[in-house]
Amino acid sequence: MKKLHVLLVDDEIMIREGFKRLFDWEAHDCEVVGEAADGMEALAKIDMLQPDIVIMDINIPIMSGLKVIQLCRIKHPKTAFVIVSGYDDFSYCQQALRLQITDYILKPVNYEEFGSCIDNLKISLYENRVVNEPMQQEERTINGLTRYMQEHLSEEITLSVLAEEFHLNAQYISQLFKNEIGVGFLAYLTNIRLEKAKKLLLSTALPIADVAEQSGYGDYRVFTKVFKKAEGITPSQYRRDFLERK
Amino acid sequence: MLRMEIALFFVLAFVAYIYFSAEWRTTLLHKVFSVLLIVMMVHLLFDAATIYTVNHLDTVPVLLNDILHRFFIGTMVIAVYLFYQYIAVLVEEETGQPRQLDKAARLYLLVALLGVLLLPVHYAVTPQGNYSDGIHASLCYVSMAFYLFLCVWLLVRSWKRIDKKKKLAIGAAFVIEVGVSLLQAVNPTWLISGMGLTLMTLAFYLTLENPDIYRAELIEQKMSMLYLKSQVNPHFLYNTLDTIRIQAQLNGDKKVADLLMQLVDFFRLSVKVDKPMVSLDDELELVEAYMELMCYRYPKLQFVHDIDPDLGGMQVPNFILQPIVENSLLHGLKNKGYQGEVRIFAQKTADEHLEICVCDTGSGFGEGKKELIDQMLMNYAKQAPKLEGNSIGILNVQKRIKMLCGREFGLCYTENPTGGVTAHLLLPMKEEMK
Repeated sequence: MKKLHVLLVDDEIMIREGFKRLFDWEAHDCEVVGEAADGMEALAKIDMLQPDIVIMDINIPIMSGLKVIQLCRIKHPKTAFVIVSGYDDFSYCQQALRLQITDYILKPVNYEEFGSCIDNLKISLYENRVVNEPMQQEERTINGLTRYMQEHLSEEITLSVLAEEFHLNAQYISQLFKNEIGVGFLAYLTNIRLEKAKKLLLSTALPIADVAEQSGYGDYRVFTKVFKKAEGITPSQYRRDFLERK
Repeated sequence: MLRMEIALFFVLAFVAYIYFSAEWRTTLLHKVFSVLLIVMMVHLLFDAATIYTVNHLDTVPVLLNDILHRFFIGTMVIAVYLFYQYIAVLVEEETGQPRQLDKAARLYLLVALLGVLLLPVHYAVTPQGNYSDGIHASLCYVSMAFYLFLCVWLLVRSWKRIDKKKKLAIGAAFVIEVGVSLLQAVNPTWLISGMGLTLMTLAFYLTLENPDIYRAELIEQKMSMLYLKSQVNPHFLYNTLDTIRIQAQLNGDKKVADLLMQLVDFFRLSVKVDKPMVSLDDELELVEAYMELMCYRYPKLQFVHDIDPDLGGMQVPNFILQPIVENSLLHGLKNKGYQGEVRIFAQKTADEHLEICVCDTGSGFGEGKKELIDQMLMNYAKQAPKLEGNSIGILNVQKRIKMLCGREFGLCYTENPTGGVTAHLLLPMKEEMK
C-alpha cells in the first residue's frame, strides 16, 4: 500500500509539533508532507501537495478551516478532512458534517488514540474501494473475509475462527488485513462492531445492553468503555446527541 | 403637638438603633447620615421641650425659653445643612465631580449659627397657641430655602448622571419637606417643622441607607466576584494547558501530559454551568475526571462506579455529584490518609424514582456531626446563604435539588455498617424533554 500523505493545518506551532512528533505516522503508513498555519497557506498547500489526509483546525487566521474545506471539496473530492477543534460546540460539528468531513476530533488531542482515527479513515477508504470495484469473477480473499465478519458480527470472531472458516493460516490473514486495508485485524473488527452499534443506537430504541450484545460485546460495561474511548462519549450520550440534532 | 414630637423621637431612636447595630460602614456618605441621625434626635428633643415651654410662657423663665429656642433653631439649621451635605456627597459619588458649593454652605452655616445665638427671640401669643416668630424664627425658613436652593442647583446640574432610585428618594424627601414647611409657614401654631425633617430623614433611611438593601448589595457583589473568578476565558485556559501538555509529552514526560489531559477534561466539563439540568452521564464524566486527578495525587484512593447505561440519560441537576464526592474525600477519606474507596451506584427505587448513592469507606461522622448535618439538610430553606465554609457544597446541592425537582426529592446521609458514610440523592426519573 502506498503511504498516505498528510497535511497539518493549525496556527499553533506546538500543536503541529505534537502531531508531527507524538504520533507514530510511520506505524500507520502515513507521512506528514507539509504544514500550514493559516487558511490561505492551507489552500495553497492542498493544491500543491495533493495530500490524502488534511488535519484541519477550525479556528485559524485569514480563513476558517471550514471555509478552506468548502473551497477544496470540488477540486479535491477524494481528500479526507479530519477536523480538530477546541470548540466543544455542536454548531461547528453540524456545519462540518455537511461538508462531508471524514472525522471530527476535539482538542485536547490524545495522540495515542489518534491512531484509531487514521484506522477509521483507512477502513472507509477500503470500503469505498470495495463498492467501486468492478465485480470480478473470483472474489478477493480480503473481501470475503470482511463480508464474513460483517455477517457474523454478533458472534465471537477471532483470527483462528477465520482461519478455520477459510482454510487459511491465521498469520496470513493478519498480514492480509495489514496489506489490503492498512489496519490490524482487531482494529478493523472494533471499527465494524462500533459502526453496527452506532446504527443500532440511532435506528432502534434497544437498551444499551442489547445493542452491545448484537454488536458482539457480551458485557455492556466493556462495550461502553470501548465506545467511549473511540467516540469520546458514551453510547447513551451518542443516542441523545443524535435525537437532539433532529 | 408634644406627643407627636415624642413619637417621632422614638421612631428615629429605633431607626438609629437598627442603623448603628448594622454592619458599620465608613464611607463619607454614611458618616454624614450618622451625624444627621444624631442631630435630628437632639433637635427633636429641643423641639419637644420648646413646644412645652412656648406654651407656658408665664411659668418658664424667659432666659430658659430663649436658650431652648436658640438650641432648637440651631439644631434645625445644622440638620438642614447636613441634608445639603448628604445630597452634595451623594451627587459627588454619583458624578465623580468634586463638591464646589461646600464653602458657601459652610460660610452660610456660620453666619446662620451666629444669628441663632445673637438675634433676639420673639414669641407670638395667639388663642390657638403660642409660637416663636420674628427675625429669629425666620432664620430657619431662610436656611431651609438657602440649602434647598443649593441642593436643587446641584441636582439640576447633574440630573442625568444620577441613579434613578436615588433621584426618586431625594425627590420624595424634598416634596415632603417643602410641603411641611409651607404648611408650617401658613399655620405657625401647628408646630410641625420637626415632622418634616424627621420624614425627610426617614425617606433617606428607607431608600438609600437601609441596612438590608446594603447587605443584599454586598452579597450580590460578593457573588458576582465569585462568578467572575470562575469566568477566566475557558478557551484561553484549555489552549494554554494543552500547549503545556504537548510540550511535556514532547519532552518525554508522559505522566505530566496525562495529568494535564485530565485537568483539561475537568475544566471543559465544569464550565458547562449554564445548564440547570444535565444527563447523569455528563455528571459522571465530570466526577470521573475529578477523581482520576485525585487518585493520581493519592494513589491509595480508589474510585468505582457502576451505573446501568440506560439510566445514563436521566436528567439530574447540574453539578450535584462532584460536591458530594469532594465532601467524601475531605471529611471521610482524608482522615484515613486518603486510603479507601468512593463508590457511586444508581438504582431505580420501588416507587419509580432514581436514587444515586455515593458511598465511601472514610472515617464516618464524628460525634454528633450526623445530627448537625441532618438538621442542616432538613432546614435547608432557613439556612442563610453562606459563601464559604465546608457545608456550602452539600447545602447548595440540597437547595438546587429541591428547587429543580421538587420538595419530595433531595439529599440525605446514612452511616455504613462497615464504616464510612453513604450520601443518597433521591431524584425523579426524568428523561430529556424531546
